[in-house]
Amino acid sequence: MRARASWLIVYSNSSSDLSDCFRFYGGRTLRNWLTILLAGALLLSARGTVSAPQLQVVNGQAISASSEPNGALSTRIVAYRIDAKLNTTNHSIDANETLVYRNVTGQPQQTFPFHLYLNAFQPQSTLMTEVRLNGARGIGADSGWNDKHRASITINKLEVEGVDLAGKMQFIQPDDHNTNDHTVFQVTLPQPVAPGASVEFHLTFHDELPEVLYRTGYKRDFYMVGQWFPKVGVWWKNAWNCHQFHADSEFFADFGTFDVSLTLPQNEIVGAAGDLVSTVNHPDGTKSMKFHSEDVHDFSWTASPDFTIVEDSWTGSAGPVKIHVLMSPGHMASASRYIQAQEGTLAWYDKWIGPYPYGRITIVDPPHGAGNAGGMEYPTLFTAGTAWFMPKGVRAPEDVVNHEFGHQYWYGMVATNEFEDAWLDEGINSYVEAKSMDALYGPKTSMVNFPFATIGSSDLMRLEYISLPDTDPLTRFSWKYISDNAYGGVTYGKTATVLLTLEKIIGEDTMLAAMHEYFLRYRFKHPTAEDFLKTIEEVSHQDLKGYFDQAVYGTNVLDYDIWDAHSDRLHWWEKEIRGKNPSEEMRRTYVTVHRKGDFIFPVDVVVKFEDGSSATEHWDGRDRWIRYIYDRKAKLASAEIDPLNQVRLDRTSFNNSFVVREDKRAIHKLHNIWIFGSEWFSQLLAWLS
Amino acid sequence: MQLAPRPKTFASGAGLVWRWQRILWWIFIVNLVLALFATKGMAERADWALSHSVASGPLVNGFDLFSLAELAAQPDTPLEQPGPAVLHYSVVFAIFMLFAAGGILATYVFDAKPTTTAFFEACGHHFWRFFRLVIYLLLAFIPMGILAAICGSIYNRINAVSNSPYSADFFFIAISLIILLLTMVLRLWFDMAQVIAVAEDETRMHRALRRAASLLAHNFGSLLWLYLRISLLAWIVFGLGLYLWMYRLSPLSNTAAFLLTQLMLVFWIAARLWQRACEALWFRQYQAASVTEPAYTPTPSPEPAPIPYSTAIN
Repeated sequence: MRARASWLIVYSNSSSDLSDCFRFYGGRTLRNWLTILLAGALLLSARGTVSAPQLQVVNGQAISASSEPNGALSTRIVAYRIDAKLNTTNHSIDANETLVYRNVTGQPQQTFPFHLYLNAFQPQSTLMTEVRLNGARGIGADSGWNDKHRASITINKLEVEGVDLAGKMQFIQPDDHNTNDHTVFQVTLPQPVAPGASVEFHLTFHDELPEVLYRTGYKRDFYMVGQWFPKVGVWWKNAWNCHQFHADSEFFADFGTFDVSLTLPQNEIVGAAGDLVSTVNHPDGTKSMKFHSEDVHDFSWTASPDFTIVEDSWTGSAGPVKIHVLMSPGHMASASRYIQAQEGTLAWYDKWIGPYPYGRITIVDPPHGAGNAGGMEYPTLFTAGTAWFMPKGVRAPEDVVNHEFGHQYWYGMVATNEFEDAWLDEGINSYVEAKSMDALYGPKTSMVNFPFATIGSSDLMRLEYISLPDTDPLTRFSWKYISDNAYGGVTYGKTATVLLTLEKIIGEDTMLAAMHEYFLRYRFKHPTAEDFLKTIEEVSHQDLKGYFDQAVYGTNVLDYDIWDAHSDRLHWWEKEIRGKNPSEEMRRTYVTVHRKGDFIFPVDVVVKFEDGSSATEHWDGRDRWIRYIYDRKAKLASAEIDPLNQVRLDRTSFNNSFVVREDKRAIHKLHNIWIFGSEWFSQLLAWLS
Repeated sequence: MQLAPRPKTFASGAGLVWRWQRILWWIFIVNLVLALFATKGMAERADWALSHSVASGPLVNGFDLFSLAELAAQPDTPLEQPGPAVLHYSVVFAIFMLFAAGGILATYVFDAKPTTTAFFEACGHHFWRFFRLVIYLLLAFIPMGILAAICGSIYNRINAVSNSPYSADFFFIAISLIILLLTMVLRLWFDMAQVIAVAEDETRMHRALRRAASLLAHNFGSLLWLYLRISLLAWIVFGLGLYLWMYRLSPLSNTAAFLLTQLMLVFWIAARLWQRACEALWFRQYQAASVTEPAYTPTPSPEPAPIPYSTAIN
């Protein structure tokens, strides 16, 4: 609760600053100058919002990039050393962890919160309670508890400077006060840690892994081990940010280094989010593998004796990247699809967003039955998903690679708070996924491509959005959505659609330039929603407050329709309009455009006439409706809102146009399919009788 | 008694269907009309959104799944759920077929042109008998359901323990085929019971079922093969039609698509009638063979006892 209160204060201050700044803009030139001036002022005054090339603003303190060790990409706040041993008989891990925490908060710190994510896999935890309420990640709301999914993490020792603090651990529930939830604890040190100083935590812990559920666990001899060690919270916006593990939330952590030693049977093939430093075989049939990783904020690993390793490499602007693919039995046919998708996505990101700085990326293909481990991102490693019968026309393997690799940027490097700003990682990633998938595989065929049926990635995003367009704003904390479906529809689908629509306002190239700039500014940092939106405004030199207020912070639905469109003959008394030649037939055409939804957005309207002429109108959409009247010889042929189909946020496109000449081809096609289906179902039933 | 396979039955059955093709066309028309009713609501709602909208383009020039999904999610005129209407009209069709079965089988068994009155008399005459058979059939499906449930749990077990995804999936495919085959055997058994009921005007359906089971047991191979190859042919034609529809037909050829799909339906109905005709024909042959080659030699009845003479003269 303390964290929340602090957060709110900081948030309201900075948002009012920004809104005030942008509200005073006048003309375009003045606005541009003001933007530059105000951006400069913000650089000096705002906290955690903008960084200049020479400065890194971390948790409220400006730190010179040169103060970091040579070659460091991030401000390394944490250094984890973990020595873990996997027991494959009872699916458990025993480990020693040393965490060196560098206090860059700018103030003394005495109380530290830690995540114990694995404790969420217990019947009365907050995560399971939320699953029972709403369902999540493919688990239905009515799913009962199955004890094979029980897991835990137990801290047996916690020492700081030789003082045993295990007895001082206190479970806290900052989000819901559910005392049965043990996913966060805090400990108060005997002495505060001075600003700039470091503190070393020594922990011994024991993990009991679940059968794969919520991204982590085992299935037969496959292990996907994520969120498995005590992880310290993040000092963010002048408070500790350490949320409980929720059904609809992911993670948030500080950058640093990881030195992890894994001891496990020698037959295990291991993939990990780090560079392999050494492997030592032991006489007892086990081996110890040491991994090192830096400028990341998490460490996960996988092991299975059944993996087949497929390797490739790709060279981008930041140098070569080794691609490791760990394929499960029966899935080898998808290996080349994974690699092609990975290389295509790497190239797309390298061109449009920025360089991928790590030397490797590991793709884990979970075996059948372990689908719950699939489709999850960790720094430099992610899990994909396929099936032995996956048709080529279904681009699920390509899409999951594209999406999860995208998280290397939106989560991995641009490390936003996934608890509070899920849209900044999942949503932005979905937008870029739609752009890159459509670019790589065709706009209408990037997800499903058969001669008889197609669907594109950006359309799929829009479909998610239109399923629940008005329940929650993008900025809702991830576990506070009305339902799991709303979390998915809004966080992924609506964000992507909001950003696709934004392209109409600022242009596609400018939008991509803004994404590039946002990445460069905030990689290896923890930006906020305001940072993202401000970057777009700065790059586009436009005041987008009106749009962001509705699309990002609001729940207004955008829906325009052609209310009425028709042509009438002019009456005899209107001869002054009929012109010099009274024998000429003149018609008056009425087109009424209606804003059905509350979302105000400027739209183009194109009115076409039977003689081939047309008129293009631009309506700001502020009123509820507008009527256009034309006196012409030709009759109306059609009236269409947003003819280029750029306003992707429009809830339905079917009412955006009215064509006078009826075209029954679509309905005939659909009706034929429905008739055939109905006839065939009747035959099936008759066969049984 | 075992009846040797008669290769002519297959072709003669097709001949019967061809000869009495009016039945085929009537069934097709009823099926089509009911399907039109079942889908009318959906079509009207979709028509409202589509016919004057530019957004129908992706559905005209291809089959954009997004457009279809967007159409289904229309806030003003959402497509009504197709399930209930289609189910209701399909049940009506199934009852109609149950009713018509008596007339159809009578036509095939006696191979004589029935008058409309005679046809419907036969329909009505056998309807409740066949209705009882449907109840028996539903009872017979219970063990099939239990078998499917057991196989489902075995599938889950294999899926849980096997590292290869093939084991469970291939088991699933194999068991699905077996269950399909068993369902076909059940259907064949009940088909034969219906034929017996019509051919011999059997009123007790349990007796008809017993006799059908005995016939099936003694002629399992020939009867099943007769039934199965028509089914296979129907599925092949159906698959070919789907392939042509989905891969070969231009997305703009609605008329061709309609004709093709209805042709597929006609063949599907014809195949089912072909099975019924073959079964009827086979049973006729069986009856004929029973007359010429009796299964048993009747024991001559004992001579009548001489009437006591004294009685005679009194």
